[in-house]
Amino acid sequence: MTLVMVVDDDQDLAEMLGIVLTGAGIDVDLVSRGDEVMDVFHNNPPDLVLLDVMLPGLDGIEVCKLIRAESMVPIVMLSAKGDTQDVVRGLEAGADDYMVKPFRHPSELIARIRTRLRRTNADVSGLLTIGDLAIDVQAHQVLRAGKQIQLTRLEFDLLVALAKEPGRVFTRDALLSEVWGYRHSTDTRLVNVHVQRLRSKIEHDAEHPEIVITIRGVGYKAGVMGGS
Amino acid sequence: MNRIFWKIRNSLAFKVILSTVILSLGVVWITGSALNSRLSTGIKEVNLNSAVVEARSTIFTAEYRFLLAQGEKDFVVQQVVDDVIASATTLTSNENTREVVFIRSPGNTRPINYEIASNLLDPKSIPSSLSERVRKETDLVWQYTDMRYVPGGKVPGLAIGQKVQIPNAGQYEMYIVFSLANEKTTLDLINSYLLITGIILLLLIALITWLVVRQVVKPVREAARIATEFTAGDFRQRMKVESQDEISTLGHAFNEMAESLEQQIARLENLSRVQQRFVSDVSHELRTPLTTLRMASEVIHSSKDSFDATVSRSAELLVAQLDRFERLLEDLLEVSRFDAEVAVLEAVDFDMVQLVNRCAEDLALVAKERKTQIYVKSVEPVIMVKADIRRVERILRNLLANAIDHAEEIQIDVQIVASEHDVAVGVRDYGVGLDENALTRVFDRFWRADPSRARTRGGTGLGLSIALEDARLHNGELEAWGRPGRGAHFVLTLPRKTWESIDRRLIPLQPEDYKA
Repeated sequence: MTLVMVVDDDQDLAEMLGIVLTGAGIDVDLVSRGDEVMDVFHNNPPDLVLLDVMLPGLDGIEVCKLIRAESMVPIVMLSAKGDTQDVVRGLEAGADDYMVKPFRHPSELIARIRTRLRRTNADVSGLLTIGDLAIDVQAHQVLRAGKQIQLTRLEFDLLVALAKEPGRVFTRDALLSEVWGYRHSTDTRLVNVHVQRLRSKIEHDAEHPEIVITIRGVGYKAGVMGGS
Repeated sequence: MNRIFWKIRNSLAFKVILSTVILSLGVVWITGSALNSRLSTGIKEVNLNSAVVEARSTIFTAEYRFLLAQGEKDFVVQQVVDDVIASATTLTSNENTREVVFIRSPGNTRPINYEIASNLLDPKSIPSSLSERVRKETDLVWQYTDMRYVPGGKVPGLAIGQKVQIPNAGQYEMYIVFSLANEKTTLDLINSYLLITGIILLLLIALITWLVVRQVVKPVREAARIATEFTAGDFRQRMKVESQDEISTLGHAFNEMAESLEQQIARLENLSRVQQRFVSDVSHELRTPLTTLRMASEVIHSSKDSFDATVSRSAELLVAQLDRFERLLEDLLEVSRFDAEVAVLEAVDFDMVQLVNRCAEDLALVAKERKTQIYVKSVEPVIMVKADIRRVERILRNLLANAIDHAEEIQIDVQIVASEHDVAVGVRDYGVGLDENALTRVFDRFWRADPSRARTRGGTGLGLSIALEDARLHNGELEAWGRPGRGAHFVLTLPRKTWESIDRRLIPLQPEDYKA
């Protein structure tokens, strides 16, 4: 069974989320305070965290940073504010995705959770190379000169998506559909923030990227740097 | 010349100085001429008196000598005449010359002629009017005249004459002519002094006026400058009050006004901030229970088949109304952002044609329900723009949804036109249309063209107003055209780079298919 930790201070909403997720066959751990998250997290590590931004005890963004410091578990932020700043702060703190309350449909929430949990790139096998990085898709590992680089599942998916079709230029919309499973999303902030985060981990110089290259006005593509 | 008129119109100081100088000029002119005429009359009078005395004694002496020469020979008489002339002219000083003229009276037919004028003075210098009076009178007669000399040149003079009897030669008129050259020089000198004094006086008056006016105008100018800066938004500006005069009263009044304005503005700003904050908080606070509600309603809705018909229908209504409630909440929140001027643009590069097509496809189903269809036509296959795609999409969806609502089962035409600089999207429907009143209010919040009209799509009434704000945020424009029963035409024009402004309208607002 999949376990999702739901962190929300609104009891009714948390309970409702529990009902919906349980109905979809997902186990739920309910936490109502920010400062209680890490204890629960250690006792019973979840497969995914559903995290509200505004929390008593400890702010959702701080909680997100704490989790990221020790785990690559997928994090989906819940925000009552659709404001850019809140969303970007959450993504920069390490969240993979976000949902603005109220959700269009509960099914949308479940779809998002499933996307984050599913094993993407199951069709890709063996070793991929991008720049001086070696990617072992099955083992979910990225190696540079034999040393492993820690990536979140989403960052890994993003890198694999680019690496498996070197030379292809991906639009942001294409990446949103490929990696996040969105159709028709116009929110390109997700892509921008995660590309930045990915670069900070894999590029030699994030200011002058050589592995994930920006094609101005279009999107991104994998670099064809020699040295693989 | 224009500059001077401009100055007169626009500078209080210049106006005051100019009018003061003009008035002073009149006063100086009048006093100057009065002084001038008094002085010249005075000088002339003094001269006349002494001249008359001198002339009387000279003529008396001459008469006496002629009397003594009675019965003498002609050459002796000639001698006496010469003597008389010599003594009369010798008496003259260098400055004030005087001449003697003898003129034979008309009717004197004696053969000997003693007619003579001293020092080449032209005898015609004696006016005939004076001669006539001399002949009639027995006493001295005088008149001002010009002394003309035969070699040329003339000076102002005074001629005094009387009849005399010359022995053996009959009646003659004897004239003493005094030169007034010195007096004229004196008067000229006085005149030039008067003129110079007048000019200096005028300059001094102008200077004094300027100094005085400056005292008044400077604080007024200062007040104007401060008022301008105040208007420009610097509410801390205050006038300096340093004295106890009317200017300081103005300063006090101005400062009080500024103070009260500043407080009012601060109060209103605070009020609007509080209100805006409240709207935003309410919207946010509503979101959490709304999320719970939505999920609960979905759960109920998904099992509605197991309920009886009324409960099942109620579940459907619940879901639909929650949808509507949510849209309203979103729109309200967006409106409050616009009102608070915190709406921000996030510009990205995208293809406008693709976006329009996508919106049209998304709404195709709704259009089909309303028995209409959307046709998109673009001049170019790809039109790249840099704008906030979320907002542009919202504008397009609002325009299309609005067109579908009013299409009356007739098709909807969308055209996309682009230039180097701008891009325009026109949405034309051929349905109910808009009258003039509706056109002025179509972008108003919560305004409905016809309150009795069913709003099947459950719009919020904020769509077009938000669309307009979105367009303006892009430095673009959204305009509406319509005629009752002839449909409506909404044209969105945006700069292709959002920070620029629109160059020109690419789609005429009145549709080309419309013939009045």
